[in-house]
Amino acid sequence: MSKVFHVAKREFLATVLTKGFLLGLLMPPLLGAVMLLVFPALLGHKPPAVRGEVAVLDPTGELVAELAKFLAPEAIAKRHDRELREGLERAPAGMRKLTEGVLERPEAQKALEQAMGEVPQLSIVALDSGADLEREKARLRESPGQDVPEARRRLALIVVHPNAVERDAEGRYGAYDLYVRAKLDDRVEAEIRSGMREAIVERRIARAGLDRELIEALTTLPRVRERVVTAQGEQAFASEFNIFVPMGFLLLLLMAVMTGGQSLLTTTVEEKSNRVVEVLLSAVSPMELMTGKILGQMAVGFLILALYGGAGLVGLFSFALLGLVDPSLLVYLLVFFVLTYLVLGALMAAIGAAVNEMREAQSLMTPVMLIVMIPWILWLPITRSPDSLFSVILSLTPAVNGFAMLLRMTSTTPPPLWQVWLSILIGAVTAYGAIWFAAKVFRVGLLMYGKPPNLATLVRWVRMA
Amino acid sequence: MAYNGAAGSGQGDEVGEAIVLRSVTKSFGTKVAVRDLDLVVPQGALYGFIGPNGAGKTTTIRLILSILFPDRGEVSVLGRRSALEAKDRIGYLPEERGLYRKMRVGPFLAYVARLKGCKGSDVPGRVRRWLERVGLGEVEQKRCEDLSKGMQQKVQFLAAVIHEPDLLVLDEPFSGLDPVNMRLLRDLVFEQHRRGATVLFSTHGMALAEQICEHVVMIHDGRKVLDDRLDAIRRRYDARTIRVEPLDPRADAGTLRALPGVKEVVRDGSGYELALEDALEPARAIREIAAALPVARVELTRPSLEDIFIEIVTGTGSAAEAERARLRQALGRGPGEQEAVAP
Repeated sequence: MSKVFHVAKREFLATVLTKGFLLGLLMPPLLGAVMLLVFPALLGHKPPAVRGEVAVLDPTGELVAELAKFLAPEAIAKRHDRELREGLERAPAGMRKLTEGVLERPEAQKALEQAMGEVPQLSIVALDSGADLEREKARLRESPGQDVPEARRRLALIVVHPNAVERDAEGRYGAYDLYVRAKLDDRVEAEIRSGMREAIVERRIARAGLDRELIEALTTLPRVRERVVTAQGEQAFASEFNIFVPMGFLLLLLMAVMTGGQSLLTTTVEEKSNRVVEVLLSAVSPMELMTGKILGQMAVGFLILALYGGAGLVGLFSFALLGLVDPSLLVYLLVFFVLTYLVLGALMAAIGAAVNEMREAQSLMTPVMLIVMIPWILWLPITRSPDSLFSVILSLTPAVNGFAMLLRMTSTTPPPLWQVWLSILIGAVTAYGAIWFAAKVFRVGLLMYGKPPNLATLVRWVRMA
Repeated sequence: MAYNGAAGSGQGDEVGEAIVLRSVTKSFGTKVAVRDLDLVVPQGALYGFIGPNGAGKTTTIRLILSILFPDRGEVSVLGRRSALEAKDRIGYLPEERGLYRKMRVGPFLAYVARLKGCKGSDVPGRVRRWLERVGLGEVEQKRCEDLSKGMQQKVQFLAAVIHEPDLLVLDEPFSGLDPVNMRLLRDLVFEQHRRGATVLFSTHGMALAEQICEHVVMIHDGRKVLDDRLDAIRRRYDARTIRVEPLDPRADAGTLRALPGVKEVVRDGSGYELALEDALEPARAIREIAAALPVARVELTRPSLEDIFIEIVTGTGSAAEAERARLRQALGRGPGEQEAVAP
C-alpha cells in the first residue's frame, strides 16, 4: 500500500510542479476574462465611427429635421449610455454594487465624451422632390476616396412614402423605402431604421394632438425584480443566472476530469517511451503502478476542483448569489467527479500503456473525446428539459451519466433521488469495468513496443491477460 | 537472510536456491519464447545467461521476476512462490531501461529506493552514498536528461542496487557501454557478488560472459542447451583440437593423418587442425606430432563459448555450415557489444 502511495505522490508532484500545469491552471480563467471583457467590447452593438451621408426624399417635409435630431452624434452617444445603465439595472445586486457611481465620475463622463467621437457621423441630406431617383441610387455605388470624399460618401437613400405621417385616403399609414450601399454595417443601418421610426412616430403623435411623454409613461412599467423565497430567507437575483449554475458545474467536472485524465495519459506514455516503466515494474506490480497513478492524478483533479470551485464560490459569495448553489450539490459534484474520472482515467491509463508515443494515442482517444464532447453538445437540451426521456436516459448512460446527472441536478427541476442513486450505481459499475479493462491492457501493454495498437489489439490483450 | 553457501558453490550443493524454474513454458501467440526450461541458481552464485538475440533470455528473466507469468511450469525466487513476494529483495536492471527525463537524479533514486521498501529517513543518505561511490556525487540535483549517456547508465544501475538486494538480475547490462564504463560496471557487479548477492546476468556477448561468470546457462530458441560451471565446460570441450603449423608449409598432411588417435585433419591456412579421438591424451598427441615432423608451432586450441555454443546448437558436419554462419551473425551484433573487457 505504501508503494501505491509513493507512486501517487510522485505522479501528483510531477504533474503539479510544472510550469505547464500552472499555465494550464491560469489559462481558463484568463480566457474567460478575455471572453467577458474584451469580446463584448469588440463585438459591441455600438455602430462603428463611419462618416457619410444619408439622403432623404421626403414628400411630407416633416421628417428630415426629426431624423437629423435623432442621428446627431451626441444623441447616439447618449442613447448608448442609457442602454448601458439599463443593462446594469438587470445585473444582480452584487455586480450593480461594483459599478455604482462609476458612471457619474468625471473620468466616466470624459470617457463618454471620447466615445462620442467613435459614434457614426451621419449628415442628413434632404433631396428635392424633383430629384432623379435612379441618379441618387447610383451614388450608393460610388467608391469613396475616388469618386467622392470619404465624408460625403452616400450611405443610404430613404424614400419616404407620402402617407408616412398621415393616413391616406384608405386610412392606412405608410413607411419608407430604404436603399443602402453594399456592405453597410448592420449597426449603422439599425441606427438609421430606429431614427426613422422615432421620427415618424414623433410626427404621427404630434399630428394626432397627443402627448408623447404621456403615452410613454402609460406604456412603460418599471422593471420588476423577482425575490426568491428560500429556507435562508428571501434572496434577490436574476433568473438568468440559473443557467450559469449547471454550466459552472459542467465546466468544473470536465476540467477536473480532463486535467487528471490527460496528464495520466501523458505520464504513462512518457514512462513507457522513456523505458523507465520496467524499472518501476521490478519494484511494483502493474496494478500497484496503475492504482498509484490513477490516485495521484485524482488528487490533481481534486486540486482543480478545489481551486476553481473555491474561486467560483467566492465569486458567488461576493455577488451575494451563494443561495444559487445547494451545498449538497457540491457533495454530488465530488461523487460524480470520482466516478467519471475513474472511468475516463482508467481508459487514459490503458491507452497510455498501449501506445509507444503520444502521436499514436490520437486514434485510440476518439472514444474518450466523444464522451467528453457529449455534454458540450447536449448541455442546453438537458438544462432546458431536464425531465425529458432523453435527459433521463443520458443521465443513466455509462460514462456520460455523471455529466448529464449533474446538469439535471443543477437545473430548475432536479430529478428524483432514486434516479440520482441509480446513476451513481451505474457510474460505480462502469468505473469498476473500466478499471478491470484498463488493468489488463495496462499489464500487457506496458512491455509491448512496436506496432501501434488499435482497439482490436487491446481487446486481444484483455483476453490474453 | 543467511548466505550459507560460499559464493560460486556449484550445482547440486544443498545451499538455498535463489532461483528455481521447473519446466517453464511461455508462448506469445504461436511463438514459443521459452520451452520447458529448468533452471536452478544457488544463492550467492554469479550466473551468466547467454544466447543469441531472440533466444528467450529477456522472457525468462521477466518470468523470474513475475513481470510475465508462465503458461506452464513453476517459478520460485528467494524461496518464495513468486518474485512479487520478494520484490524488495530483488534488484533488476531491465534491458529496456530509462529514467524520468525531467526528474532530478537524487529524487529519482530516492523514489526507486522507497518503492523498493527502503525506510524514509534512511533514503537520502543512502542515495548520496551510492552516488558518491560511482563518482556521481555532484549530479544529485541535476535533471536526468542533463546527464551524459554513461552517467545515465550508472544511475540506472544504481536504481537496481540501491536497496542492496539479495538477488540481482541484470538483462544485457553491458550493452551500449564504452570500455571504461564497462569495466566500472563489471567491478560493481563483482562487488555485489562479493557482498553475497546472487547475480544473474544475461548477455549475447559470450566473450564477456567467459570473463565474468562462474557458471553459464546457454539457451537457444527457448531451450536450455548448456548449464554448467565455466571450468567444467572448458574441461569438457577443451583440447580436442590441436593446431599444427609445420616448419615446411608444403609438408604432407598424410604424416599427420597416419598418427594413431587422430580423427580428422583439416587444412587451415598455413597449417592444419587435428581433431583428436577421445582416447588420445592431448599431451601425448603433441609429443607424437613433434616427433613425426618438424613444426613451427603446435598448440591446443581452446574453443570459445561461442564455438561451444555453435557446436552444441548445430552439431558437426557441413550441413550445419549455413546455420553456423547465421548464428555467428546473430552473436556478433556489434563489435562494441561483443568486445571483452580488458582485465
